[in-house]
Amino acid sequence: MNHIPRIGIGGPVGSGKSMLIERLVPMLAKIGYSISIISNDVISKEDANRMRTNLATKRGLLPENMVIGLATGGCPHTAVREDPSMNLSIIEEMEENHPELDLIIIESGGDNITTTFSPILADYFMYIIDVAGGDKYPRKGGLGIVNCDLLVINKIDLAELVGANLEIMKKDAEKIRKEKPFEFINCKTDQGVKEVMEHIIHDVLFDLSPKSIQAQKV
Amino acid sequence: MNIDEMNEELAVMQLSDSFFPTGLFATSNGLEFLFSKNQIKGVDDLKKLIKINIEQQIGPSDCVALVNTLENASKGDFKKIIQIDEMSFAMKSIKEIRTASVNSGIQLIKCVSEFMKENKIFNEYQNAIKEKNIHGIFPVAFAICCNALNIKKEKSMTMLLYGFTVSVVGAALRLGLIQHLEGQKIIHEIKPIIIQIIEKNVNKSIFDMWQFTPQLDIVQMSHEKMDSKMFIT
Repeated sequence: MNHIPRIGIGGPVGSGKSMLIERLVPMLAKIGYSISIISNDVISKEDANRMRTNLATKRGLLPENMVIGLATGGCPHTAVREDPSMNLSIIEEMEENHPELDLIIIESGGDNITTTFSPILADYFMYIIDVAGGDKYPRKGGLGIVNCDLLVINKIDLAELVGANLEIMKKDAEKIRKEKPFEFINCKTDQGVKEVMEHIIHDVLFDLSPKSIQAQKV
Repeated sequence: MNIDEMNEELAVMQLSDSFFPTGLFATSNGLEFLFSKNQIKGVDDLKKLIKINIEQQIGPSDCVALVNTLENASKGDFKKIIQIDEMSFAMKSIKEIRTASVNSGIQLIKCVSEFMKENKIFNEYQNAIKEKNIHGIFPVAFAICCNALNIKKEKSMTMLLYGFTVSVVGAALRLGLIQHLEGQKIIHEIKPIIIQIIEKNVNKSIFDMWQFTPQLDIVQMSHEKMDSKMFIT
């Protein structure tokens, strides 16, 4: 079966996971990448419904059935880490029925800095935090912050208002992440979002052009 | 206890463990809907709900599908297994529960295939799933795994019923309906019901399979339509 590259996006509630997806998808779609989104949510399908409305219904960037909300029995971490069975079921169905997809984005809520994605579920793991949590993050560490493939620090426009020092966050991120990358972003203005997209295209899609464009060349 | 018996015990522990990945932790079997409508209050109501589920739904349908699959797997009658899979699928009238059961069954087979390589019926069942000749509904998939791991039918039924009980109690704990000590008390008090249901259904033919829980069906269908929910259904 055709393996479609998968990105897991995890992070605390309200850190901007869905918003980042809403910013990334139009950029990737503009290049021609075909994307599907699975949103694991603790309590509702609110995020999935919003992304479906904003990205599919209103803008037609992807079909409505390519945004899927998944209830996780109160344990989003479990559904992407210890027991990703339900997510894998959906992905297997997609890989079979939608081989045209270039990328699957799996979002998982949860307010635990130890969130990680099972390697069988996600090929690439992005962890997103925001400055409103305080500049103690990323110094505090935790599996998500330390081990993810890309750490994203969102809402940098709020840093001054909440007394978070971005320079401290930068130094701590460099120290704790060693060689691994991190990006400061502001999803309201798209600042830094292009850099996140470039990581995805380079590290996950290996700079391959979208399948639809590859097919045209053949 | 000889080595075969010890192997059987270890297989029982592995498949029954909540750590074993089947995705069933995401289902509440309608409990969340009852809780949200304030129609279930505490330990006694929860126990009644589990009892009805076991006596009227899981026992006479899933357990009967399980034992008949086990018997036919040991005889190597794959045609009969296809028939049981079809009947068990048709008997699950709630769409989300049916889908969750199939997804869990398929993932269960996939997981066991990581360490089960040489079992003819298991491989045949896995291939039939791949080729879409069979649904992969959970009780049948579970029986295929139990057969491959040499787990006897009474133990297999116990695991299925115990697993169901624990999943509902777990959902109740996460909803805040009960506290953890009450959860263990309920599991203990359900044990005689599990035993009764096993005795009642262990020798039933596939044609004696039934289920009748109209009110619970309505609750589960209503749960499907809830806007805000933690559990699949």
